[in-house]
Amino acid sequence: MKKIIIGEHIVKSYGEGNEKRNVIDGVSVEINEGEFVAVVGPSGSGKSTLMFALSGMDTVDGGKVVFDSMDLSAASENELSDIRRTKMGFVFQQPTMLKNLNILDNIILPSMRGNRKNGEKISEKARAIMERVGIAELEKRDITQVSGGQLQRAGICRALMNSPKIIFGDEPTGALNSKSAERIMDIFSEINGDGTAVMLVTHDAKVAARTERIMFMLDGKIVSELKLPKYDGTDMDERVEQITVKMREIGI
Amino acid sequence: MFNRIIRNDILKSKAITLTTMIFVAASAMLVSLAAILVINLSGALDTLMTQAKTTHFMQMHAGEIDTARLTTFAEQNNNVDEFQVLEFLNIDGAQIILGDNSLANSVQDNGLSVQSEKFDYLLDLDGNIINVSDGELYVPVSYLKDNTTKAGDKAVISGNEFTVAGFLRDSQMNSSLAGSKRFLVSKNDYAQIKNLGSTEYLIEFRLKDVSAIGAFATAYASAGLEANGPSVTYTLFTMMNALSDGMMIAVILLISVLVVAIAFMCIRFTLLAKIEEDYREIGVMKAVGLRLSDIKKIYLAKYAAIAAAGSILGFALSFMFKGLLLDNIRLYMGESDNSFFAVALGIIGILLVFLAIIAYVNGVLRRFRKISAAEAIRFGTSQEKNTGAKRFSLSGNRLFDTNIFLGIKDVLARKRLYATMLVVLVISSFIIIVPQNLYNTISSKTFINYMGIGNYDMRIQQAGNSTDEAAVIVETMKNDSTISKYAVLTIKTLKAKTENGSEENIKVELGDHSIFPIKYSLGRAPAAEDEIALSSINADEMSKKVGDVIKLLIEGTEKNLTISGIYSDVTNGGKTAKAVFTDNTADIIWSIISAELSDKSLTDAKVSEYADKFDLAKVSDIDEFVKQTLGSTISSVEMASYAAIAVALVITVLVTLLFMKMLVAKDKYSIAVMRAFGFTNSDIKAQYVTRTVFVLIVGIVLGTLLANTLGEMLAGLMISSFGASTFHFAVNPLSAYLFSPLMMIGAVLIATMIGTSGAGKIKISENIKE
Repeated sequence: MKKIIIGEHIVKSYGEGNEKRNVIDGVSVEINEGEFVAVVGPSGSGKSTLMFALSGMDTVDGGKVVFDSMDLSAASENELSDIRRTKMGFVFQQPTMLKNLNILDNIILPSMRGNRKNGEKISEKARAIMERVGIAELEKRDITQVSGGQLQRAGICRALMNSPKIIFGDEPTGALNSKSAERIMDIFSEINGDGTAVMLVTHDAKVAARTERIMFMLDGKIVSELKLPKYDGTDMDERVEQITVKMREIGI
Repeated sequence: MFNRIIRNDILKSKAITLTTMIFVAASAMLVSLAAILVINLSGALDTLMTQAKTTHFMQMHAGEIDTARLTTFAEQNNNVDEFQVLEFLNIDGAQIILGDNSLANSVQDNGLSVQSEKFDYLLDLDGNIINVSDGELYVPVSYLKDNTTKAGDKAVISGNEFTVAGFLRDSQMNSSLAGSKRFLVSKNDYAQIKNLGSTEYLIEFRLKDVSAIGAFATAYASAGLEANGPSVTYTLFTMMNALSDGMMIAVILLISVLVVAIAFMCIRFTLLAKIEEDYREIGVMKAVGLRLSDIKKIYLAKYAAIAAAGSILGFALSFMFKGLLLDNIRLYMGESDNSFFAVALGIIGILLVFLAIIAYVNGVLRRFRKISAAEAIRFGTSQEKNTGAKRFSLSGNRLFDTNIFLGIKDVLARKRLYATMLVVLVISSFIIIVPQNLYNTISSKTFINYMGIGNYDMRIQQAGNSTDEAAVIVETMKNDSTISKYAVLTIKTLKAKTENGSEENIKVELGDHSIFPIKYSLGRAPAAEDEIALSSINADEMSKKVGDVIKLLIEGTEKNLTISGIYSDVTNGGKTAKAVFTDNTADIIWSIISAELSDKSLTDAKVSEYADKFDLAKVSDIDEFVKQTLGSTISSVEMASYAAIAVALVITVLVTLLFMKMLVAKDKYSIAVMRAFGFTNSDIKAQYVTRTVFVLIVGIVLGTLLANTLGEMLAGLMISSFGASTFHFAVNPLSAYLFSPLMMIGAVLIATMIGTSGAGKIKISENIKE
């Protein structure tokens, strides 16, 4: 299977001199095309930092990241921007939307860059995606006029706009109630079902249980890995149990 | 703790702090300068008028005088302290030659006087009463100021030689507004020249009770005494003396108001941005139970520190510049003895600026009350709704590039924030355009039409009564093929009857006024024998308007003339009249023969040819003539317009820089979001450039509109002070509507580029925190 991301011996450190510490300490990761993976760890374990490094949003201090056969550490700022815009999708814990724009405009914003002539087409596509995640009626609303769950669904719509090869989700359900969180995870499963790779960063076993491969991270290192069969909506409790056992084992 | 917070905060935002401080310093400097100037002006004025013992009530009179009757009046009026009658020997400007310069073009009535014995003394530049010897001439200080002459020069007055022994301060006639200038000579010299000019009398009184000047003036008028001329009171002397420096103080105050406004705008903007940046912290402080006043103190202390530093710097600067601005007061009025008081008032002025800033900051900080602790902690930003621009949506946008769209949308969504920047840019473009339009107007060829001069190339002035010589010149011109047309005007002094029956001299230009027409602010040129046109100053003084009738003594008989028009004039003190009738009795003061050449490039050659041929006549190139009459005004306005452009550009750059830095700090989150989703640094920059250019274009349009309405009005007021009545800007479209906006756009672009360079350094990972 083709690899979409290859991370080799990634090091990322903060601070200087004696204060210097490695937030990511020589981590190697590979993600296949269409794979559904989770990185699980306590806060401060370096899992978000790993995501920023793998997506080229942050530079690495050691090792290298190859995305879709391109070395990100050798790419220019503009190339990185182009890759993020055209090949990656992002969903964050907080909705990261621009206050000035309504829901629809926030969703189409990255696709509209240098592309205004196709505005009609892009808006149509956005409406279709919004329909699919159940927020079609919200397009004209301000971002302050909708619920957290709806906003997060809008965030997913934005991530899907350019038909990315991979979607990164950094605690995408962290700020939601359990019902909304469930809905969001259904959507991620659906997206992955269509063949898009998804990488989630979470400390929630229930979220990780939706994925097929779980990497456990502690103090900047991947300390263990767990493979699960594709989730078919039946054995949720058992999957969660497997993960929590593993987590207890490692000491998370 | 405060000190540490302030120090850290200032170190973190050096550029912003510095810019704010510069504006505070500039406003403090201007306010302090204005205060120092006011005190020095009033002090110096007081000293001058005390030392000179300025007259409390003066009546000027031309004609017969009955001294005995006046003495009786003075003795019987119990408010009169002292009384005297001085003579003023009016001499035509052409008859006064100082060094190499004649006063022929002087707009003043120049004349000779002897030193007074009782009061109204003429003082030297040290403030002492001048004791003049035979052969010495003391010249009014204004002729030192404009470099007409210097001490030691040879002076010739109506053929009599003098030496310029020094300069005099005349507490009554120092000001250019006074209209007359007294030269001081010895009694012997005066007696010798006396019959070479016309004598006017200055009937002067010092009163015991100065507050009763009004009552005394009425008493004098109702006694039916000599009154053929204006009467002037002590109050008016004070006002005339104070006016020109007062105007400068007014201009400084006006500018300081603008600069204070700009300083306030900067503070408002930086403070609002800072509050937004610290939104979460403020919420936390509120949540843990700090009082509003405690939180306010942290912010107030920082601005108090900036304002204090700016004020001290401004005060120091005002000391450096005050000498420059005090020169004029020193020259015309001398030193003031209350300089300590001046410094004190300067400090008070600066304290007021300081307090105003603190009060303003305190006012802006009132919005702390509106911050909800819960909201601040949860969202980290204000959840206030954005107003407006709802319908302007990205999905419906086909017109603009996405970055341009986002820039414009941001401006429309945060109007209040950008309004601050807009105000500054409107002020800047106003400051750039008004002086430049004013300069362009007064230096344009057509402007001389407003000034009472026709559109010709060469002007020959033939002094005196030699009609023959003028006729020879005309005959020469007739045969000169290079001269396409010419006109002859003879200037005569005629007597006009005023309403109350007294007579007044009026200079009338007789001839055909249709050959080289001038601009009439009202009505038209005189065409019929019984018509006359008046200069606006004359019309004002006689309170006449178009269609009124004026009585003139022509060839011994009284004749009624209808006023056909009113025009602006800067020549001959602005007091002239134009008519077409013939008069053979009155003396010709001078003739003016004006000519247009078929080939303008021959002007120089023709001027020297005629000057050689007619050595008694004054031949001048019209450009040269205008330069002499208006040259110093034009060049100072030109200087002012360049200075204004420089100042406005500096303001524009500083303010744009400041705003961009603040905006980037404020918008860190949005920038991080956009970069995370694939917008490049140049995309972000393009958005910021759009914002500033959009605001700038609105600013330039508003500033230009304002300049052409309010600015034109202000400039018109200024121009009217030297005789022009109607006034419209002659705009150089290339410079006002192309180069100036381009300069501003260039300045703003550079400032935006520098100001937003920090946007590229914003780390996505640090600003999209979970």
